[in-house]
Amino acid sequence: MQWLYLCFPSLQLDSLLHQQAYSQACVLVDKNEVVQANPEALQLGIKNGTGLAHAALLCAQIKVIAYDAKKEHRLLSQLAQCLYQTSATFYLDPPQGLLLQTSDMLRLYEGIGGYWQQLQQPLIERGLNYHYASAHSPLAAKVLAHAGNDRLLQHQRQVQMLLNQLPIQHALLDHKLALQLERLGLNTLGQAQALPKSALGQRLGKTLVNYLHQLEDTSAPTKPAYQPPERFRQRLELLYEIEHSSALRFPLKRLLTDLEAFLAPRQLKVAQLSLGLDYREHASQKMHVGCSDGEYRAESWLSLFLLKLEQLKLPAPIIAISLTTKGQMPWAPLSEQLFEPTQGKLTTGQLISRLQSKLGDHAVQQVYLRDDHRPERSFYQGAPQSSYPTQQATAFLRPSLLFTLPQALHHKPDQHWCILSGPERIQSGWWDNVNICRDYFIARNPAGQVCWLFRTATEDWFLHGYFS
Amino acid sequence: MALLQLEKDRLVWRARQVTGPDQRRQSSFYSTLDAHLQGGWPQTGLVELACGLAGIGELRLLFPLLAQSQARLQVWINPPAQLNGQALAQHGINLSKTLLIRCQNPQHALWSAQQSLNSGCCSHLVLWAKNLTSPQAKRLQVAAKDNQALMFWLHPQPEPSTSALPVSARFSLAPLATGLRLKIHKYQGQWPQHPCQVDMHKLWPSLAMPTVTTAPVPALKRNINLVSLNSHKLQ
Repeated sequence: MQWLYLCFPSLQLDSLLHQQAYSQACVLVDKNEVVQANPEALQLGIKNGTGLAHAALLCAQIKVIAYDAKKEHRLLSQLAQCLYQTSATFYLDPPQGLLLQTSDMLRLYEGIGGYWQQLQQPLIERGLNYHYASAHSPLAAKVLAHAGNDRLLQHQRQVQMLLNQLPIQHALLDHKLALQLERLGLNTLGQAQALPKSALGQRLGKTLVNYLHQLEDTSAPTKPAYQPPERFRQRLELLYEIEHSSALRFPLKRLLTDLEAFLAPRQLKVAQLSLGLDYREHASQKMHVGCSDGEYRAESWLSLFLLKLEQLKLPAPIIAISLTTKGQMPWAPLSEQLFEPTQGKLTTGQLISRLQSKLGDHAVQQVYLRDDHRPERSFYQGAPQSSYPTQQATAFLRPSLLFTLPQALHHKPDQHWCILSGPERIQSGWWDNVNICRDYFIARNPAGQVCWLFRTATEDWFLHGYFS
Repeated sequence: MALLQLEKDRLVWRARQVTGPDQRRQSSFYSTLDAHLQGGWPQTGLVELACGLAGIGELRLLFPLLAQSQARLQVWINPPAQLNGQALAQHGINLSKTLLIRCQNPQHALWSAQQSLNSGCCSHLVLWAKNLTSPQAKRLQVAAKDNQALMFWLHPQPEPSTSALPVSARFSLAPLATGLRLKIHKYQGQWPQHPCQVDMHKLWPSLAMPTVTTAPVPALKRNINLVSLNSHKLQ
């Protein structure tokens, strides 16, 4: 079996810096020690392992960010999600490594060259620094990649040659063990491999023997291979704090592009997205945007989000955003549009979601009928639905405009009014305590409006609507 | 120089620049109105209806048209009261193709009108708004024309706006005993016309005044008698 190891020595820093062009020295610090540094910092002489005080002395304006292993692990799995498009079997090797099984993929990509080209693409897009090496055994690949080998080797002989020359300090051995080997005069890995294993085991312990065995072991790691998650969930740490909602556009677009890359190959779309906004010194907030028809394209989601963001006032600067989905559904691209000519650029569902994003969910409604004799309860307004059973309207003539609250008439209709029809008595609602007893008339007032009036049992007159 | 400035301010138009008005019509299903307007409502564009008071029959004027064309959405924006689903259904309007939008902000109302038109999935749009400026009307007119939609703008003024709004047609409505009197202030592609009397008696016999309009008093009395009779019967 052939293995390829990818390692990302500055994964967290690269991901942060990729968001914005940053031309100053910038380092990640863990326990007062620099663990990742950008090229500008390296130029000033700041290396991994430099103390924070020393780094600050070398560059007063240095930007210091705390290293977070959890965040880096999250970034690694995001990267894995992306690489799953090109590779079938691979293993996460936290915190910074990926082990890919290449032998199965070579036939698909017609050789290691084509495969590597495909694999490189997302890494370059994300602006990541990486080292790689291929070898016959997982450990050999890892050791060579960490040593910065950056070569794709086809033959075991070549790999062995490189391993032979590898300084023992770079062999990813325990520091103490490496020192012991050096004191024995074994300066390269080849020298250690040449000695009988049993003798080495007796003197230096089991760890070294296991290591040497693994260096030649071509079988797959015992842990399970990477499986992409069922649902999309992604978080983006921001290099800068965002204080205006309009500035969210670019980080949001990146998340949505990742969402599209997640959904499109799975032939899925989502009905709702939740954008989590993490504030500095303020409780985080969630923002929901829906699209009743479902959608997967980043462009469409972005326009919906921008409508919603217009109205958003930030209570505090934003430090991170996250995106989760709700209601994933299969996406059938051609089943509807093949025979029905569509004139528009949007479907009904897309229009509704766009309107709802800007105006709020309650502003866009559909009218539904209900079996009730009471006029104000014989219909209701609710959220639009694409399909529902048709309902039968009442046989009695009803006004097209109806007041929510009937308006009291100060004067009883006099001789200037013309009663056109009536009365129609509506007495109903004894079961839910909204009992009405009204005599309805259709009447035309002197101004020419056709009104729907009613008279209560107490001889009070009300205007309830217009036959507009 | 002066002419150029005038042209720039759109105060002068050249006859040869005009491509000719859109002559396509859709029937209003009122024969007199169709005859008067040489075929009915415009196929696309913005139509201004100055209604004056609500409830004189302004929607009944549109219902036959709306009941006939239900392939795409019909959008209603900011009606002055609740839109009664029962009445719409009675008039043959498909409620599943009806979208109701309510917003306080008049700017948002115009925005949603434009979005609905531009989406291409809306065939008719009825908007209640107090007034439109010339650029707003132009935008809506262009959106409606580009997307094969007809938009009605209803407002409560008794007379249409005097400014030269770029609309396809402009009418003012006044109630009549049996229907509506339509004053045609502008109709693209047509010379000014006499007012037209739309008879709604056939479609809504019970909403038309009895032909004897001279003595409404006995009518009321008769009805009231009927009321008491009926209420006895009901009780």
